[in-house]
Amino acid sequence: MSEPIVSICDLQYRYRGQKEFALNGINLDLSKGEFLVVMGPSEAGKSTLAATINGLIPHFQKGKLIGDVTVMGRKTRENTVAQMAEIVGMVFQDFEAQLFSTNVELEVAFGPENFAVEREEIGRRINENLDYVGLDAIRHRPPSTLSGGQKQKLAIASVLALKPTVLVMDEPTTDLDPISKMGVFEITHRLCKRDDLTLMIIEHETEEALYADRVALIKDGKLVKVGAVREVLSDVDLMEKMGVMPLGIPKFFKRMGIRRPKVLCSIFESNLPLTPEEGFEAFTKTDWKISESAYQKLVSEEHAALAKLNRPLIQCRNLEHSYSKEVKALDGVSLDIFEGDMVAIVGQNGSGKTTLAKHFNGLLMPTGGEILVNDLPTREQGVFKLGQRVGYVFQNPDHQIFSETVFDEVAFSPRLRKLSEDEVKQRVKEALKAVGLAGYEEQDPFALTKSGRQRVAVASVLAAQPEVLILDEPTTGLDYAEQRSMMDMVCRLNEQGSTIIFITHHMWVVAEYARRVLVLKDGKILLSGATRDVFSHGDELRDSSLRPPHFVEFSNRLGHTFLTPEEMSNCIEGVQD
Amino acid sequence: MNAEIYLDNNSFIHRLDPRTKITIFLLTFIAILLFEDPLWMMPVTFFILLQLVISGSIHNLRRIRYILIVLTISSLVLWNLFSKGITPLFWIFKVESFYFSIARTLLMTLMISAGMILISTTRNEELVLGMIRMGMPYRVGFAISTALRLVPTIASSTQTISQAQRSRGLDLDSGSLVERVRKFLPLLVPVFISTIRNTNIFGMALESKGFGAREKRTFYLKLEMKKADYLVLAFAILFVAASITFSIMGYGQIAGLTRF
Repeated sequence: MSEPIVSICDLQYRYRGQKEFALNGINLDLSKGEFLVVMGPSEAGKSTLAATINGLIPHFQKGKLIGDVTVMGRKTRENTVAQMAEIVGMVFQDFEAQLFSTNVELEVAFGPENFAVEREEIGRRINENLDYVGLDAIRHRPPSTLSGGQKQKLAIASVLALKPTVLVMDEPTTDLDPISKMGVFEITHRLCKRDDLTLMIIEHETEEALYADRVALIKDGKLVKVGAVREVLSDVDLMEKMGVMPLGIPKFFKRMGIRRPKVLCSIFESNLPLTPEEGFEAFTKTDWKISESAYQKLVSEEHAALAKLNRPLIQCRNLEHSYSKEVKALDGVSLDIFEGDMVAIVGQNGSGKTTLAKHFNGLLMPTGGEILVNDLPTREQGVFKLGQRVGYVFQNPDHQIFSETVFDEVAFSPRLRKLSEDEVKQRVKEALKAVGLAGYEEQDPFALTKSGRQRVAVASVLAAQPEVLILDEPTTGLDYAEQRSMMDMVCRLNEQGSTIIFITHHMWVVAEYARRVLVLKDGKILLSGATRDVFSHGDELRDSSLRPPHFVEFSNRLGHTFLTPEEMSNCIEGVQD
Repeated sequence: MNAEIYLDNNSFIHRLDPRTKITIFLLTFIAILLFEDPLWMMPVTFFILLQLVISGSIHNLRRIRYILIVLTISSLVLWNLFSKGITPLFWIFKVESFYFSIARTLLMTLMISAGMILISTTRNEELVLGMIRMGMPYRVGFAISTALRLVPTIASSTQTISQAQRSRGLDLDSGSLVERVRKFLPLLVPVFISTIRNTNIFGMALESKGFGAREKRTFYLKLEMKKADYLVLAFAILFVAASITFSIMGYGQIAGLTRF
């Protein structure tokens, strides 16, 4: 075996001012052309690990570094970040902040310019890399006008222009819609094969990890497991325990296998099926059958529950909105949202999801058509009055937190509404209890984790006691366990009578939590209905850059739409114990 | 919303070399500082208006119209108070100081307009490269362009943040002056914090792309002085030379005006 390209040896790292080590004894080698995905819960040290590879740690972020990271014989300790840039490329999650040129070409040119590459050669690299990521046609556009997926592809092209040997990406697809996600992963996958590029990607979503050669799971700064992709992803229990999302398909088979271990062993040996194709193949080999009566019962119960919701709270009739003369962000949207509903709004980046949601609480006013909340046009109510009925939690909690204590932050809205101090206290107490932050009143909100800050943001909106709660990407940037607990909390609020509307890119969240789904495409509603019905339309979803989770896709191939492994395993016949 | 300042048009002014535009920008300053009498500032005003229209930069001025209106009104009042004339106009105002206040207000708006024309018609990278070719160190030029780049970022995050706080019930349009100032706190803190966070990532991305890796760097952009550039420059230099001559000869001053 050849020398490793990246060698991480007994690595320990502590941020300045912290007591705990963020990385605590990591040993890991990456060989040429290898594709490694690093997964783990929030605060596990994933991003820290990524930042050590090109020397951002210890040079940019100061702290105590023990052990060594060596890339192609160069120790990061002894080379500046800029010097390492020639061999290690780095792509960040935040695609707004990492692009800084005024057009696509110049963005790609920036890296080579720093290394004094000849002008003609830079031109060649621009052509080659833009062509490679598929942005050739828009090379003169300013990056700020690109979609999220295009921005991330541009970030990749701009790093590739330096011809690195190693490419490190820190959650490159977190803010992207499912198809753009796949686009980015498809590019990286091709890269590995083409140039023998060594890839290390930090990722939250397990379905994306299927492209990798190896997967490393880390927690509390330690490597818990490193192994071939099949081996790690089949270990459903370990992943669940670590707070990393397990794949639905192996989870289903595992669940079935507990009921009948022998069959499972004989069919799959040690490897559980992972992808929809493998799952389909494996399922047809068994004697299992989906019980038609159980399935029909499931569907009819669901429809009956939806039919009970009949008091419309929000009504849109032919709603239109344009930011400028040329483009309509919303183009003839008609919909009803009923009291007690739990609706997911999905669609690709820039399809008008947020624009639509901002009409519900009067932040935006229609430029055509009408929107009624409680039978009154929003224009007559205004955002201050509507805010009491319709609460809106923005995507980034840092865009609203400003107080010194959690209590003051949550009390902001009730105080603005001139409630008595006793009432304010009561409201804050209830809101913090609802989000699971009781006892955090005196804490500094900025010192909380992302998920904690997200909860503070939700509580501060809940304190106004709205009837409708809108959440814009409530699960983005959280790990699996945090996503679950956030959505469980939202679900409880719904059971207590709140009407919930949430925008998301996470299809499994939609599958498991939404009662109804609205699919937007180019400002129009493409599909709407009960979650199960919408997810049975795989092709239309793909049209709007979405796709159901692997597990749903797998059940679709079997002719039935199941949303969770539990649900499906309860509907299986032919398993004798 | 598009918060960019640069306008992606292809006007005559856009096509000029950045060095030409920077020189004109500097020459404009000299030309408008020479005269006290607003009438003598009319030729410069005319040329700046012409540039605003040709380049489409007038669109950007419209975006900052509220700031311009506030500045214009306060400047008109202040320069009346800070200068003395001899011919009474009405109440405490004098004719000479009134003229002078118009000239100073014009000077301010013209400076803003000239700057706006420069950054609306020149890409950030062109501007930096222009400055470097004119002898400025790369790092200084880059710092200037980074500052310019922050403007649209801050503008768009301010917009999101004000929406977030408004949906929580913050009403920025009512209350006394003190109350209103206090109400900006929920906007300022998040704007400040998110800008710092962004700047941090920006810094990491810069270094990760090899910023400052070599003593010398190359530039993909190519600057070229064309015939139009030389013609425009020649005209601008003649214009300023003429203005200076008139000014030395004593034209364009307001008799009987005392400035503090």
